[in-house]
Amino acid sequence: MDDRMYSKKLLTTLLLTLLIVLAACGGGGQDSESAGGEDEAEDLTNNDAEDTLVVGLDDDPPLLDPHLSTAQVESQIFKANYETLINVDENLDPIPGLAKDWDVSEDGLTYTFYLQEGVTFHDGADFNAEAVKYNFERILDEDLGSPNASDLRLIEEMSVEDEYTFVVELEETFAPFLSGLSHRAGQIVSPKAAEDEEIDLSNEPVGTGPFQFVDRTAQSHLEFERFDDYWGESPDYKYLEYHAFSNEDTRITNLVSGDLDIVNRIAHKDIEQLEENPEINMSEEDGIGFQGLMLNTDREPFDNQKVRQAMNYAVDRDAITEVVFHNGAEPAVSPFAPSSWANNPDLEVPDREVEKAQELLEESGVEDLSFTLTVSPSPAEQQLSEMLKSMLDDVGFEVEIEQVEFGAILDRMYEGDYDVARLGWSGRVDPDGNAYSWFHTDETYNFTGSSNEQLDELLVDARTTVDQNERQEMYRQAAEILWDEAPYIFLYHENDYKPMKDNVQGFNHVPDGLIRPADLTLE
Amino acid sequence: MEQTENLSVQTTKVQNPRLRMLKTMLERLWQNKLAVFGGVVTFLLIFTALFATWLAPHDPTEQNYSAVLQAPSSEYWFGTDNLGRDIFSRVIYGAQVSLQAGLISVGIALIIGVPIGLISGYYRGFIDEYIIMRMTDAMLSIPALVLALALAAVLGAGLTNAMIAIGLVLTPNFVRLIRGEVLAHREKEYVEAGKASGISDFSIILKHILPNTIAPIMVQATLAIAAAIIVEASLSYLGLGTQPPNPSWGSMLATGQGYLDSAPWIALFPGALIFITVISINLFGDGIRDMLDPKMK
Amino acid sequence: MLSFLLRRAGLMIVILFFVSIIVFSLVNVLPGDPALMILGQEATDESLEALREDMGLNDPLVMQYFAWVGDLLQGDFGQSFRDNTEVSSLLAEKIPITLQLTVMSFAIAVLIAIPAGVISATRKGTLWDSSATLFALSGVSLPPFWLGILLIFIFAVTLGWFPPSGYVPITENVAQSLWYMLLPAVALGVRLSAELTRMLRSSLLEVLGSDYIRTGYAKGLLERAVVYGHALRNSILPVITVSALQFAAFLGGTVITEEIFNIPGLGQLLVTSIQTRDFPVLQGAVMFMALAVILINFLTDVLYSILDPRIKLTGGSQ
Repeated sequence: MDDRMYSKKLLTTLLLTLLIVLAACGGGGQDSESAGGEDEAEDLTNNDAEDTLVVGLDDDPPLLDPHLSTAQVESQIFKANYETLINVDENLDPIPGLAKDWDVSEDGLTYTFYLQEGVTFHDGADFNAEAVKYNFERILDEDLGSPNASDLRLIEEMSVEDEYTFVVELEETFAPFLSGLSHRAGQIVSPKAAEDEEIDLSNEPVGTGPFQFVDRTAQSHLEFERFDDYWGESPDYKYLEYHAFSNEDTRITNLVSGDLDIVNRIAHKDIEQLEENPEINMSEEDGIGFQGLMLNTDREPFDNQKVRQAMNYAVDRDAITEVVFHNGAEPAVSPFAPSSWANNPDLEVPDREVEKAQELLEESGVEDLSFTLTVSPSPAEQQLSEMLKSMLDDVGFEVEIEQVEFGAILDRMYEGDYDVARLGWSGRVDPDGNAYSWFHTDETYNFTGSSNEQLDELLVDARTTVDQNERQEMYRQAAEILWDEAPYIFLYHENDYKPMKDNVQGFNHVPDGLIRPADLTLE
Repeated sequence: MEQTENLSVQTTKVQNPRLRMLKTMLERLWQNKLAVFGGVVTFLLIFTALFATWLAPHDPTEQNYSAVLQAPSSEYWFGTDNLGRDIFSRVIYGAQVSLQAGLISVGIALIIGVPIGLISGYYRGFIDEYIIMRMTDAMLSIPALVLALALAAVLGAGLTNAMIAIGLVLTPNFVRLIRGEVLAHREKEYVEAGKASGISDFSIILKHILPNTIAPIMVQATLAIAAAIIVEASLSYLGLGTQPPNPSWGSMLATGQGYLDSAPWIALFPGALIFITVISINLFGDGIRDMLDPKMK
Repeated sequence: MLSFLLRRAGLMIVILFFVSIIVFSLVNVLPGDPALMILGQEATDESLEALREDMGLNDPLVMQYFAWVGDLLQGDFGQSFRDNTEVSSLLAEKIPITLQLTVMSFAIAVLIAIPAGVISATRKGTLWDSSATLFALSGVSLPPFWLGILLIFIFAVTLGWFPPSGYVPITENVAQSLWYMLLPAVALGVRLSAELTRMLRSSLLEVLGSDYIRTGYAKGLLERAVVYGHALRNSILPVITVSALQFAAFLGGTVITEEIFNIPGLGQLLVTSIQTRDFPVLQGAVMFMALAVILINFLTDVLYSILDPRIKLTGGSQ
C-alpha cells in the first residue's frame, strides 16, 4: 500500500516535470530578443585595458615562423611583428613596405629594391640588404623545407648593391613575383635570431614590426608590446593580444561582451545580429578567394564532362548565398572574385536550370550518379552540404555527405581518394595565385586530376607576361575554359567581415582580410 | 527502486511452474508504476520510430528556403531549422536513429562479450586472468565516450561505424558481468554433475550456464541501450555519428546550439526527446531488474 | 596490508600496460598522414617526406611502440604535431582547468546529494522522498550535454545571468573564474549528485535499519545527531566507492561539457587532437585520463581498506 502511494506521487512529479520542460521549450521563442550575453565580464587580459587591443582569431596559429607558415590565421599575427618588403593597399596595389621603392627592368627579369633606412629588428640587429639576402636564402634553403619557397624559386642571382640596395635577377619573367613578396616570402625575420640556436622562431618570432613578441600560451593566446624603436609611426596603444576561439559563437559572445576589440572571422548567420548591435561596427569587403566543389575527374562519374557541366546548372548559387551566407557572399563562376581585374564580366551567374542539368546527364549516358561529398564538420559547411545534396539529388545525382576534419580532407586530396570535396581557397593578391597551382595540369592543388592543354598554356603565359591588359585577356579566356571543362564547381566568393567595437578606429579593410593592428586606434 | 524490503520471492525454486512464475513477475512489474510508465513511453517511442513514415507530417529532409528558422506553429509544431525543415518530423525520424543505435550497438557488445565472458569464466586460467580481465580493466579505465570517440575517428564518421565503436566500448561491461555469473555457477552441483556424466563443456556452457545468466544480461542490456543512445548523441554532436542530412538528435542539438538565441526550438526539442527516451528506458530497465530478482542490485 | 598494496600496484601496472597498447594501436590505425597535418594545405612533397623520416613515421610499428613507451617512462609525451609544443607542458596547462571543473562539480554534487540522500532516507515514502528519488532518476538519465545546453539557454541566453561559454583562469580573477565555470560544473555535478543520492539513500537506509542505530535511538539521542553523526559516517564508504567508479564516466562527461562551454581543458584538448589528428596529444591525453582513473580506483581501494578493516585484503579486481 505504502509503496503504491509512493509510486503514484513519484509518477505525478515526473509528469509535472516533463510538462515544465516542454513548456520551457515551447515558450522559449518569444523573448529571444533579450538574448545576447550581456554579462559584464571584465577583460581577458592582465594588461591595462585602456592601452590594450585584443584581437579574436578563429584558430590558434600553430607556426609563428613566416617562412614555415602554411595556415591562413598565422598571417594575421605576422602583421603585428613582421613586415614584408612590399605591402598592398585597399585596391591590392603594391605599396612600400620594408622596401621604400623598387625598379623592375623592362624585360621583367631584374628587380632592384631600395630599402628603408634606420630600421632595427626587435633584437637590436640592423635591417639592411644583407638581412634581405639572408632571408631569401633561408627560404630557399632546402634544409628548412619552406613551403613558401616556390615564390622565390625563379631567382637566379641576388646581390647586395650597397647597404640599402638589393638586386634580384630572375631566370624568366614571373608576373606574380612582387605580390609574393607582400606575402610570406617577403616577411623578413631577424638574421641574428634565426642563427641563434637558442631561439625557436616558430614560437618566439623576431621581426621589425610595430609590435614585439612578449609571450605565448600555446593554443590559447599571444601577447605583444609596442616596439619603442619602430622606424615608422608608433602605434596608438601599448599592448596587443591575440586570443584564439575556434568556436564561432564564443568568439562573437566575447566581442559583444567586450572582451575582444576586433574579430578576424565570423559565421555569416551572425551578420544581422552584429549589424544591429549599436556598440559594434562592422566592416565588409569583397574577398579575394573562391569556394566550391572539387571534382575527382579520375573517377566515375566525374570523368564525364557532361556530368560535371550538369552540376554547374543543378546548383542554386543564389539560394546558397542567401540561406547559408545571409547575402554575405557573391555567387561564383570562376576563381576570380568580381572585384578582381582578372574577372570575366561576360561569364554570368546562371540561374538554376534543372531541366538543362537533367538533359546534360541524359546526354552523358552515365547511369550511376552516386558519389560521396566530403566536407569539414563546421556548422556552415554542414548546412551548405545539405543544401547541395538536396539540389543535386533533385536532378538525379545520389549524394552521400561525409564529414571529415579539414586536415583529413587534405590527406584524401593528396591521395586522390575522394569523389567530390568541399575545398576552396583564401585567395592571393595576384590572380596567378588563384589559378596556376589550382588548375594547371599536375600542379600542387590540382587534386581534380584534370588537364587541358589550352588552359595550361594560358596559365603559363599569364604568369610570364608583365602587361596587365594582356594578362587580363588570358585570365578571361582561362575562366571560360574552366567553366566549360568544369573540373571545379565554383559556388561563391565569401565576403570578408570584420566586426569591431565602436571605439576601435582607423581600420583599413584590405581585401586580403588581414588586420593591420598598427593602423588601429582606441578612442 | 528500493522496494526489496516488503517483497520476498524465492528465486531458487526450480520446480515452480513457469507460468506461475511469469505471472508473479508481471504482477511485480505492474506494481512498479514508474517502470510501467517507462515501459509505455519506450513502447510509444518504438512505435513512433517504426511508423515514422506515417506519423511525420513532413519529409524530414525536405528543405524550404522560404520557411527558414520559423518558430513553432500549427504548420510546424516544433518549428523549422536553418534549412526550413520541419523539426517535429526530424525528431520523429531521429527516434529511429537513436533506438537503432541503442539496439545494434548493444547487440554488437552482446555478440562479442557473451562468448568471451562465458569461455573466459568457464576455463579461467592465465588468458582469463592476465589477458582478458586486464584488457577489460584497461578498456574500462578509459572513459567510454573518449574510447568511442577515438574508435569512431579510426573507423570514420557515420552511424554504422559509430554503432560499432559504441558496441566495442560496451563489450567489457558484458564480459565482466557474464564472467562473474559463470564463476558463480561453475561450481554449482548441476555443472559438476554434468561434467561427471561426460557432457561436453560446450553443452554445459550452452545448456546450463548460459540460461542462468540471461536475467542479469537482460537488465544490463536494457540499461546499456540507454547509455548507448547517449553516446551516439554525443558522437553525432561532435560530428562523428550520424551524417547529415539524416536526422539525429545529437546533430540537431549541435546545429541548434548556434541558434539558441534566435531559434531555441532547434536544440530544445531533440534534447528533450533524448532525455525522455533515456529516462524511460532506465525506468523500464530498473523495473525489469526488480521483476526478475528483487534482491539483485 | 603491504602485500595487498604491492599486489594492487602490480595490477595497476599491468592494466597501464594494456592501456598503452590500446592507445598506441588506436592512434596508429587512425587514418591521416601526420606529416601532412603538420604542413597543411601548402605542403610540398619533399618537405612531407623529410618530415615523415624525421618523425620516425617510416619505422616499423613495434619500434615505434617501444620508442614511445620508453619516452613515456621518462615523462616525455612527445611534441604536438600542431605547433611542436611539448605534450607534457600542454597537459600541465590543461589539467588544472579540468581539475577545477572536477572539484567544482564534485562540490556541487556533494552539496546536493547529502541533503537529498538524507532527506529521502529519513523521510522515506513522503513527497520529499519521491522528489529526491525522482531527481536522482532524472539526473542519471540527463546527458550532461543536454543539461548543459538547457542551462545555457535558461541562465545565459534568456536570463543573461551567466556567460554562455568561455573560461577565465583562476589565477587571473578568482570570482570571475568560478562564475564562468558554475554552469558547466552544475551540468556535470547534477548527474553525479544523482548517482550519489541514490547510493546514499540506499546505504543510509541499510545503516538506519541496523542494530547500533536502533541502540542510538534507544539511548535517546536526537534524531539529527544519529543521522549525521553515526549513520552518515557509516554510509559514506559505499558512496566514496561509487564516486570512484563513476570517475571514468565523469571524465567522459567533462569532454563533451568542455566542448559545449568552450572550456580549454583536457577534454577540449582531446577532441581537438582527434579532429586535427594530433597523435602525440591524443595519446598523452588518453593515457593521462586512464592513469587518473586507475589511480583514483587504487586510492579508493587503499582508503577503503584503511577505513573499513572488515574488508578482506585479497586484492584482485574490484
